[in-house]
Amino acid sequence: MDDATRPEVFRKMLLSRRLEERIRQLSMAGELPATLHPGAGHEACQIAALAALRSDDPMLYGHRGLAYWIARGLPPEKILCDIAFKEGGTNRGKGGVMHVVDPSRGIFGESGTLGGNFVIGAGVALAEKMRKTGRVVIVFFGDGTSNRGQFHEAANFAAVQKLPLIFFCENNGWAVSVSAKVSTAVENIADRAAGYAMPGTVVDGNDVDAVYAAVREAAGRARRGEGPSLIEAKVQRFHGHYIGDPEPYRTKEEVAKLREKDPLPRLQQDLLRRGLLDDARLAVMEKEIASAIDRAVEFTKRQPLVAPSTAFESVYAT
Amino acid sequence: MSRQITYGQAIREALVEEMRRDPAVILYGEDVAVYGGIFRVLAGLREEFGERVFDTPISENVIVGAAVGAAMAGLRPVAELQFADFVHCAADEVILKAGTWRYAHDGAFELPLVIRAASGGFGFGPEHSQCPEAYIMHSPGLRLAVPSTPADAKGLLKAAIRMNDPVVFFEHKLLYGMKGEVPDGEHIVEFGKAKVRREGSALTIVAWQEMLRRSLEAAERLAAEGVEVEVVDPVTLNPFDRDAIIRSVQKTGACMVVEEAYRTLGVGAEIGAMLMESAFGELDRPLRRLAIPDVPIPTAPHLVDALVPRVDDIVQAARELAPR
Repeated sequence: MDDATRPEVFRKMLLSRRLEERIRQLSMAGELPATLHPGAGHEACQIAALAALRSDDPMLYGHRGLAYWIARGLPPEKILCDIAFKEGGTNRGKGGVMHVVDPSRGIFGESGTLGGNFVIGAGVALAEKMRKTGRVVIVFFGDGTSNRGQFHEAANFAAVQKLPLIFFCENNGWAVSVSAKVSTAVENIADRAAGYAMPGTVVDGNDVDAVYAAVREAAGRARRGEGPSLIEAKVQRFHGHYIGDPEPYRTKEEVAKLREKDPLPRLQQDLLRRGLLDDARLAVMEKEIASAIDRAVEFTKRQPLVAPSTAFESVYAT
Repeated sequence: MSRQITYGQAIREALVEEMRRDPAVILYGEDVAVYGGIFRVLAGLREEFGERVFDTPISENVIVGAAVGAAMAGLRPVAELQFADFVHCAADEVILKAGTWRYAHDGAFELPLVIRAASGGFGFGPEHSQCPEAYIMHSPGLRLAVPSTPADAKGLLKAAIRMNDPVVFFEHKLLYGMKGEVPDGEHIVEFGKAKVRREGSALTIVAWQEMLRRSLEAAERLAAEGVEVEVVDPVTLNPFDRDAIIRSVQKTGACMVVEEAYRTLGVGAEIGAMLMESAFGELDRPLRRLAIPDVPIPTAPHLVDALVPRVDDIVQAARELAPR
């Protein structure tokens, strides 16, 4: 990762973290519908993975957090408007936070039923391959979603067709409230790659360099026509499945221990050490992010709710 | 000018013409490329179109899901599911993905894809014989074509491939060998326009595909008895030409739906409810439905005959419903 990319990855991680914190506050205060699945703890792998791809490489994102969209430069107010069902978002109340979309930024949407991303991502990759665009498709998913049958079908199909596709697993060990220990037969999701004759790699999802390098390698392989890869980033979920989840399935001590692995201070230290950031610049960055979020929140509050007549639109193209 | 060709040949012609016209059209599914489709209507397509025609693993979820993804990214996939029953294998992808992706993402994408599948028939057992039109018709976001003649099979499939919405295209197994006139040259059939296949005044029969064929045969026999029935073919079930059925019922005062699917909440139930809501005053006799009783479709042909409406059943029911 070059010296221009590294601080930008950090800035986007920080923006994602702070925006999500603001959404949590607004949600707890009843000012926003509470529909976000918090992604704190996952930002490093999401943003580093996307930094390793071209800005027009299509992505099917997961439901954990909002860093995917921040990584692609989607303005925060668009995300807030989608959460709040206001005009000015990307899907006008049709899909809310689960279906944020912007094809011009390669944000191809998300399947509400888990696993849909695998088969749709395979189709997007099929089109990119047949149209010889040179693009690579990335599908983000959790360890829990890898237990859907669509994973098997898409992985096998992608491998047989040598599709330019990256299966990117964010393994946080939890499927809502069910531990991977009781739901998943393998220790590493990446081990499943062997069943599809594709490379499977495990990386530390808190290490932006490891994630970046793994995605670069998978993308190179995909662009050379050598087919799909599976990358598993070991990460941790700092919050419950949704805002307000009482988390009866794990202890506060457990979560506190996970917090020690927070990728944000880790990258911050790294940037300071490399001389790519200092305390003054960090303060400016925090301030700029805070005011950008303030502006986005104000904008969202002023925006009207999506009109009821919108419910009838976009079912069919013709 | 026109020619006599089979329903299967008409489908093949539509695919060949559209694939020649538009390089974005691809064709794939189980046994599609080398074998030429399990009903052998696709012979020679692999030779002409190369990698644009390919075989897939037995993976219905990815067959349909990939069609959605490929359509989002600039292709016009025609995906084959072999048997219409397999829409249940890929229900997530057919109903939730193809049907709602565009809506959930507020029209960010067009989804020009066609899911072809062979429906109906006999002797294939409970999981390879169904006509699952009602499931599709019940699901917003999907167009649904049920061609009954070679000309409609060709014209509707060409229209489906050019359409920017997902189309489920059911080809009836018993019709693949049926011959009929197909116009020469470019032949497109519009979705949402029902056709009156036979005019009459005694009652309206709504039927499509094999049940239409049987209804028309029944109509001949009824005519010999002096009972002139009107037979309406909806052609597509989404869009659904309600007005054509209402117009016919205004003339005849009675309606019978003949369908090769389970009775409860079938297409006939919807047509009946629609007439209650929109044309109650036009009906002077109760609605009649001929459908498969709510039991699975067996394998033995003589058991199937005990369940699926036969010409005799249609004649008998029409006699009962005709004005005295």
